Amino acid sequence: MDTEAVKKELLYLYCVTEKAPKLKEVKNLVDELYFVYHLGLYAVVSKVKESEFSEENLKKNLADLEWIKAEASIHEKVIEGVMKYTCVIPFKFGTIFKTEDNLKAMLEEHAQDLKEKLKNLEGKEEWGVKIYCDIERLKGAVIQEESGILKIEKEINGSSSGKAYFLKKKKEEWMKEAVNKRINEYGQESFEIFKRLSCEARINKLLPKEVTEREDDMVLNSAFLVDKDKVSEFIHAVDDLKTRYNDKGLNFDCTGPWPPYNFCNLSKEKEQSG
Amino acid sequence: MDKRIKTLQDKDSYLDLQKERKITLVEVLDRVLDKGVVISGDIVISVADVDLIYLGLKVLLSSVETMERLRGAPITGPMQEPS
Repeated sequence: MDTEAVKKELLYLYCVTEKAPKLKEVKNLVDELYFVYHLGLYAVVSKVKESEFSEENLKKNLADLEWIKAEASIHEKVIEGVMKYTCVIPFKFGTIFKTEDNLKAMLEEHAQDLKEKLKNLEGKEEWGVKIYCDIERLKGAVIQEESGILKIEKEINGSSSGKAYFLKKKKEEWMKEAVNKRINEYGQESFEIFKRLSCEARINKLLPKEVTEREDDMVLNSAFLVDKDKVSEFIHAVDDLKTRYNDKGLNFDCTGPWPPYNFCNLSKEKEQSG
Repeated sequence: MDKRIKTLQDKDSYLDLQKERKITLVEVLDRVLDKGVVISGDIVISVADVDLIYLGLKVLLSSVETMERLRGAPITGPMQEPS
């Protein structure tokens, strides 16, 4: 076998900055972390092995959840380390260049756009709010509020089995509707409050329980770009809502500050082909 | 503990949480793998690749609905039906 090919290295891109990134604190996370400077931009990269990150091998590794978790965690930590000192544009996990020239060509092509983005992100932080709902608990609250459901319940007790069946169906439908209505209302209201306190807001896809590893259902997945001066107000707003909706079965998960993953789309960004 | 902030009346606890943030599977799939700038690098992870990861997690993808949900078809209101 050609030993050259085995040893061949690729460039893994973490993030781009406009000020020289401080890498001292994150250097130990990964081998050969450094930056490439081109046209007023710094690209934070590390050398990775083709045996792990070539197109084919990367696909294989994506089947290994433990590998993904470990590598994604390094990706995140490197960016967070750089982010402590300067504004960053985080790249998606597994963005690989074969040569430094190719990386520079990308920087050249997008220089203007990257710089504008960085300017826009200055002094802002990304925060995430995920709202989960304990549906059973919410149902408990609904029963207290909707006298109609209680009435049907009483009716069921005094009915023949045939009639009871239909009444039960009716009750379930009523309940489902009432639950959905509330989840929508509470979620919308919360989202609007967070939106008002932020510069930009995003609603993301809901994640299933296999991913969240939680008992309750995700009902809102949102991300916000918040001015640093407004962060404490933002977090207090989350706390207020947490208290307000506690007996409705809603749980709020607020995380941050994150690298601005959700607020970096470049205007020229190409749609990825599946 | 993930990097969730419980209450922030106490600034010290906030800073503690910041120090030992550990990235969870949710955030890996929701942010690191799914978001961030996508520029045609020589190699990038595609949406289809990410779907494969969900499959690996045995997330039921039998219905179109589920698939769309995972793909993140834009949601008009923030909500969707609870199961």
